[in-house]
Amino acid sequence: MNDMRELTYLEAIRESMSEEMRRDEDVFIMGEDIGVYGGAFGLTNGMIEEFGPERVRNTPISEAAISGCAVGAAMTGMRPILEIQFSDFVMIAMDNIVNQAAKMRYMFGGKTSVPVVVRLPGGSGAGFAAQHSQSLEAWMAHVPGLKVVQPSNAYDAKGLMKAAIRDNNPVLFYEHKLLYNTKGEVPAEDYEIPLGQADIKREGSHITIVATAIMVNRALEAAEILAKEGIEVEVIDPRTLVPLDTETILNSVKKTSRVLVVYEAVKRGGYGAEIASMIAESDVFDYLDAPIRRLGGLATPIPYNPTLEKAAVPQVDDIVVECRKLMNK
Amino acid sequence: MTNLLKETSHTSEQLKTMLYDMMVIRSFEEMVEKLFQQGKIHGTMHLCIGQEATAVGACVPLTIEDKITSNHRGHGHSIAKGTKVKGMMAELLGKETGYCKGKGGSMHIADLDVGNLGANGIVAAGLPLGVGAALTSKMKKLGYVVVCFFGDGASNEGAFHEALNLAAVWDLPVVFFCENNLYGMSASIKEMTRVENIADRGAAYGIPGVIVDGNDVLAVAEATQKAVERARTGEGPTLIEAHTYRWRGHSRSDARKYRTREEEKEWRKMRDPIALFKEQLLKAGVLTGDEFSDMEQQVANEMDEAVEFAENSKEPDLETLMKDIFA
Amino acid sequence: MATEVVMPKLGATMEEGTIVSWLVPVGEVVEEGDPIAEIQTDKIVIEIEAETTGVLLKTVHDAGNTVKVHEVIAYMGEEGESLDGLAVTSPTGSESVDQQQETTVEAAPVTSAQAGDKIRRTPAARKLAEENRVNLQEVVGSGSKGRIHKVDVESFLAQNAKRITPLAKKIADDQGMDYKQIDGTGVRGKVMKQDVIIPPTDSGQTPEVENKRVPFRGMRKVIADRMAESAYTAPHVTLYSEIDMTNCVSLRQDLLPVIEKIEGQRISFNEIIIKATAFTLKQHPNMNVSLEGNEIVFHSDINVGMAVAVPDGLVVPVLRNVDQKGLAELTAESKKIGKQAREGKLAPDDMQGSTFTISNLGMYAIDGFTPIINLPNAAILGVGRIQKKPVVVNDEMVIRSMMTLSLSFDHRIIDGAPAAAFLTALKDALENPLTLMI
Repeated sequence: MNDMRELTYLEAIRESMSEEMRRDEDVFIMGEDIGVYGGAFGLTNGMIEEFGPERVRNTPISEAAISGCAVGAAMTGMRPILEIQFSDFVMIAMDNIVNQAAKMRYMFGGKTSVPVVVRLPGGSGAGFAAQHSQSLEAWMAHVPGLKVVQPSNAYDAKGLMKAAIRDNNPVLFYEHKLLYNTKGEVPAEDYEIPLGQADIKREGSHITIVATAIMVNRALEAAEILAKEGIEVEVIDPRTLVPLDTETILNSVKKTSRVLVVYEAVKRGGYGAEIASMIAESDVFDYLDAPIRRLGGLATPIPYNPTLEKAAVPQVDDIVVECRKLMNK
Repeated sequence: MTNLLKETSHTSEQLKTMLYDMMVIRSFEEMVEKLFQQGKIHGTMHLCIGQEATAVGACVPLTIEDKITSNHRGHGHSIAKGTKVKGMMAELLGKETGYCKGKGGSMHIADLDVGNLGANGIVAAGLPLGVGAALTSKMKKLGYVVVCFFGDGASNEGAFHEALNLAAVWDLPVVFFCENNLYGMSASIKEMTRVENIADRGAAYGIPGVIVDGNDVLAVAEATQKAVERARTGEGPTLIEAHTYRWRGHSRSDARKYRTREEEKEWRKMRDPIALFKEQLLKAGVLTGDEFSDMEQQVANEMDEAVEFAENSKEPDLETLMKDIFA
Repeated sequence: MATEVVMPKLGATMEEGTIVSWLVPVGEVVEEGDPIAEIQTDKIVIEIEAETTGVLLKTVHDAGNTVKVHEVIAYMGEEGESLDGLAVTSPTGSESVDQQQETTVEAAPVTSAQAGDKIRRTPAARKLAEENRVNLQEVVGSGSKGRIHKVDVESFLAQNAKRITPLAKKIADDQGMDYKQIDGTGVRGKVMKQDVIIPPTDSGQTPEVENKRVPFRGMRKVIADRMAESAYTAPHVTLYSEIDMTNCVSLRQDLLPVIEKIEGQRISFNEIIIKATAFTLKQHPNMNVSLEGNEIVFHSDINVGMAVAVPDGLVVPVLRNVDQKGLAELTAESKKIGKQAREGKLAPDDMQGSTFTISNLGMYAIDGFTPIINLPNAAILGVGRIQKKPVVVNDEMVIRSMMTLSLSFDHRIIDGAPAAAFLTALKDALENPLTLMI
């Protein structure tokens, strides 16, 4: 049973959620316009037809209420998936995620758990401008009690979504808008990718690129170009920021001695800073043969104009140039 | 004071239990106040002395399956819902036998076994959480009702409005129980909203808004009873506004400059919910003076035991610091 | 905190030592274990190694000075450290106070561009440099703003695979010698002073000799005293005998690969001669004696002293219980001790207790000579070169590998006949080396 098909990232997430909803009565999805509309990106298309309005719950535009509602339902025995229409809107739900979901178990001395998945379409590149294009995953990764997932392809998206739904903790599931229509081979069968397991997307010996979300894809493109110049790049996709698979990253850096961390979020204070610090603090420090470099978004709101929008976040060429610098070329 | 006692269906035992629970709440609050002054409790606490009737009255119609969400002034809600004072006292002293193993403290006491989904340090946060718990009840057809306690101040939070609306459109089994004690910290509710009554806000979401004397425990029980029945039969949420008064300041560091001593005196002398209910029960012959003295003694004993238990309990091990962050 | 470097006491009898040279200039950073000075005792030249990593702050004595043991000769400490407040020793008891010249370092001594600047280097480069004791000051960085990367250290190592002492480097540079081609005798092939001094015979050009006066002391003085004592107190008689080494030549050929496999060393005729001498001494105990005061001491051990030429003289390390050792073991031991002698690394005890001495000049065009006895031994064997010669065997002219042995003996305690008998027996043993197996 190894039925591989080409699915888009979006279809893979939908399939994963639908399979879990068929498997477990407690799993349901709630969010704005996810019913007959199918969600802002069409991700839940067809789900209300299969599962009905009780389990595909169209909500008022009330992020504060629906997020708290999801947490309350999770505390009392459900396994809700909350779709926040754009990850930017999570700000209005922040209290329920940061003050409630993340802390409930700890504050109550371990007496409850909050198995909720918050789906967050994020990232720039679609022309949605400043309030619909951010990458604020570092905010979540900063909070103890939250898990943070950032799949970069369809295969990972399906497996990670399964793990997220089955996890007994609040999981922030960041989906990249530009990846929704990217295709990849996805098995029809049930599989889970454990949270906290990085993936080596490409092996190389000269530079380790630790990239997240869409930057994994850009790093792989850059690696192709660099390979022609004799620079062999290893691309590591952490896949989950919390928990972070430090071992895979460190082993790679130990091998290559050079590391570039690439992330779309604003470079200042982004999660790549955490990865860079983690490497610098580790025993692998002694193997570093160049400063740890980061490529991140500029410290600007995402602009509307497509040229400006592209310039605000790392592109393939930026990665290529940065790698050459790392090799003193 | 209403004369509900004549019409009530409560047995005399139930009535005495209500009085007893109110006495326990007050005694607990006075004890923790004392311990705080002695330096045995650190941090802060929000006392509900004077508000005992809202907590007890609202929980009268609830079974152990029903749930409550509470707020920062939550000791009374917990006790009324059945959470034991021993574990609460231990929690306030930060001991491992506390309800939260010493990691929650006053603002986060939770006892899920009796349907107490927890106090909350964020104003109005308990409302959406309660709506979620009610959603579970509905989706899993569990039949329980959720009472969300909150103050007048919380009614100006977005979460209040969103939660009422959401519960209303989904016909969820929730009772939104507002303890209007006139002040959100220092802010008089009269200065903070143009609506006459908080209960009027129910109309905005198409749900009933009920006003009740929050210092009359039977009136509170009566009003909540109706709301719970509505919820249980799938008719959706109700907003109850109970007028009451907190005798103490907002927290341990409050000079109470925002209100007059005369106002405080009036509520304490004329509208003490415990004194009023006691008189009612004595007059009706449900309770004798001796019985009341016995009850007072029993409450005092219970409190002494709770303090002894808490003081003799172990501090949590340092290794628990990093436990229970993830399930 | 500055630490003192003292003249070490290298043997029970050592009372003073001469500073041959300072191997690092004042102000230079040295690592623990790095040689900082060469010291000559009455017997050997030995390197003093830094006991801590730090800067050579000050030298109290110049090269050439003779200093009593335990006396301070230098101070080590941290860069820029002041010696104020320390009871800094002034040179005393030195034979050459007039030559004394103090050199102190006020601040960082290195070139001004580098002084005080931290070297820009990556962690990996630093690690590699540390492992290979590379001074990063000498490495040119290829990275941004001259940052040194691992590859820079690697190429530095490749270019500077040759480790060399500062003194040896100076000599080599003065002579225009490419020291990178030299297989150094120091630790891990480090090129030492003696490795770059060109022996006059090996050099086509005549070394320039300048008029100078060299103090007559140290090893030279010791050798002089000993030689004079021996020559003037022990009546020397020297016997010569020509030995047919043909069998030894083929024996050596046969043993070469065997021993090389076991010990990693190539057996030479020297070891065969030492072995044969011990074998013969065992049969002639009257040769294995010494005159000590009023007594002639007969030794039960056969300890053979082996004269080794070193740059400034001659030392005689001792191979012990030679009669009990096989040729493989002897080969390994004599190579080791010879190397130590040439490197000036012999401990004083290595040169004590010989009962008989062999002096081998076979590497030169020498046939026979009159060796001076190494007192208190009673005899010394001089070994000449092996040369193919026409000789008469069974009335036929044949070509044989011939060698002359010269035996000097102290006629006070050994007479001519027993000495001649010993040399004859030794000749027999060498001509029939299979007897050594018995």
